[in-house]
Amino acid sequence: MEIIIYGITNSVTLVLMTLGFSLTFGISGLANFAHGAFYLLGGILTWVFMNELGIPYLLSALLSIFIVGLFGFFLYWGLMLRLRGLAINEVIATLATAVVIIEVLRYLGFSGFTYVLPEFIKGSIQIGKSWVDYQRILLVAIGIALIIFLFLFTHRTKIGLSFRAISQNERTAISLGIDSDWTAALSLSFGSALAVIAGLVILPLGSIDTQIGYDILISALAVGIVGGLESVPGILVASLILGFGQIVVATFIKAQWQTVVTLAAIVVILAVKPSGIFGKYKELEERV
Amino acid sequence: MLEIKNLMVFFENALALNDLSINVKQGEIVSALGSNSAGKTTLMNTISGLIIDMKIKEERRGGERITLMGEIWYEGEEILFMKPSHRIRKGIALSRERHPIFPDSDVEENLRISTYLRKDSEIKKSFEFVYSIFPPLRGLKQRKAGFCSGGEQQMLSIGMALMTHPKLLLLDEPLLGLSPAMQNSLIEAIKKIREEGITIFITEQFARPLLPIVDRGYIIENGMLTLTGTGQELRENPEVRATFMGI
Repeated sequence: MEIIIYGITNSVTLVLMTLGFSLTFGISGLANFAHGAFYLLGGILTWVFMNELGIPYLLSALLSIFIVGLFGFFLYWGLMLRLRGLAINEVIATLATAVVIIEVLRYLGFSGFTYVLPEFIKGSIQIGKSWVDYQRILLVAIGIALIIFLFLFTHRTKIGLSFRAISQNERTAISLGIDSDWTAALSLSFGSALAVIAGLVILPLGSIDTQIGYDILISALAVGIVGGLESVPGILVASLILGFGQIVVATFIKAQWQTVVTLAAIVVILAVKPSGIFGKYKELEERV
Repeated sequence: MLEIKNLMVFFENALALNDLSINVKQGEIVSALGSNSAGKTTLMNTISGLIIDMKIKEERRGGERITLMGEIWYEGEEILFMKPSHRIRKGIALSRERHPIFPDSDVEENLRISTYLRKDSEIKKSFEFVYSIFPPLRGLKQRKAGFCSGGEQQMLSIGMALMTHPKLLLLDEPLLGLSPAMQNSLIEAIKKIREEGITIFITEQFARPLLPIVDRGYIIENGMLTLTGTGQELRENPEVRATFMGI
């Protein structure tokens, strides 16, 4: 029972961590290695707004989502514009951005037990023999809601349809009047905002440590590589495999072995089907 | 309606189009015939503005240098360096070579995506218009475009161009890779589109099914104009018959 509950919450956590990264990559082919840094930045911004400036939680959260989203938007126009399509350069540029953000935050000392984001609802509930806090249940609910929202967004709205168009055939999309730069910038912006949303949901479960900026990136990459980066079903399946794998290993062997599961999965997938379980594009092998 | 004057296009130092002058009048079907590598697709990309987008992106990353010279006049306005989206708003729509549609979207979604720039309330009418010109598409609404046959994808590609509500429709090799029966039904569809008042400019290498419906035609070889005439004149020209009709 415990394994099922924690397996599910752990899987949804992985889904949340990966969604933004995968959205950006799936639409514009940009590998945003600053994803983890945005996750961290969003969490810390929210904390600063609440505790240093005294802004209420909801407003702080929305403000950080907006600011980081805007940052992603201008990161495209300022830096990625000239690099788009040059995979290695994209990775170097976004990774450099990530290192700058994370190390500046580390220098400013945003680590440790003082830096905690509030839970949405305090308390926990007993399911079977184990106690589950409400935050984890909310996390699952928000994860599912977000996937449904993204599906509707990309299938029903004009911007969403332009995302789908650019991801399928960029030049045809341009020949129909869709601006590829504008769409790519928006995709980076949405991906960054999703990273912050993930942070706001997941971070209350522990305290903020600047190291997570790198950890999140690795988790997102692992899920992406196993499932196929641009594929939403791939991400869901990969999250379930890795999520349950980690919990099973942590329960029956040792918690420290969790990372081994992730890394082993990456190695196996890269050896057997390098574009991921549901991946279509061969480029992926060259990108990551 | 469309007047191209002394158009030259270079990719680096290679000359793709050499001193082309073409004009298309309101309501006509005009065709540019040429074999492979004659410069047909470059011509279409230049009229639709796709080449401007390619040029900007190549310049950004320091890639291939694309140089354009000459003039393109559309409805009294010089558009040679205009962005593709602006040209679509002014009524120029392109159906690209080899019908590149959005394979993971269903047919209806493909058409819906094509209305991206439109804000008017007549989008529903355009759907009806496309389905009336290509009746098979109506039954395929929910089918993934990638699973449609080549002919169906070609219809969809032209339908997508029509969804932008064009005044000038550019068709880049619409008959390529289609069966003779499919070619004939596409020719009928093109006639119907013209009857709706849409001007059509086609590049093609299959002259035989196309020339009977063409008002005027241009023959392009290696990026240069070698012959012009009405559809009738071209059909009777022995060189055209030998090169493009296999007679």
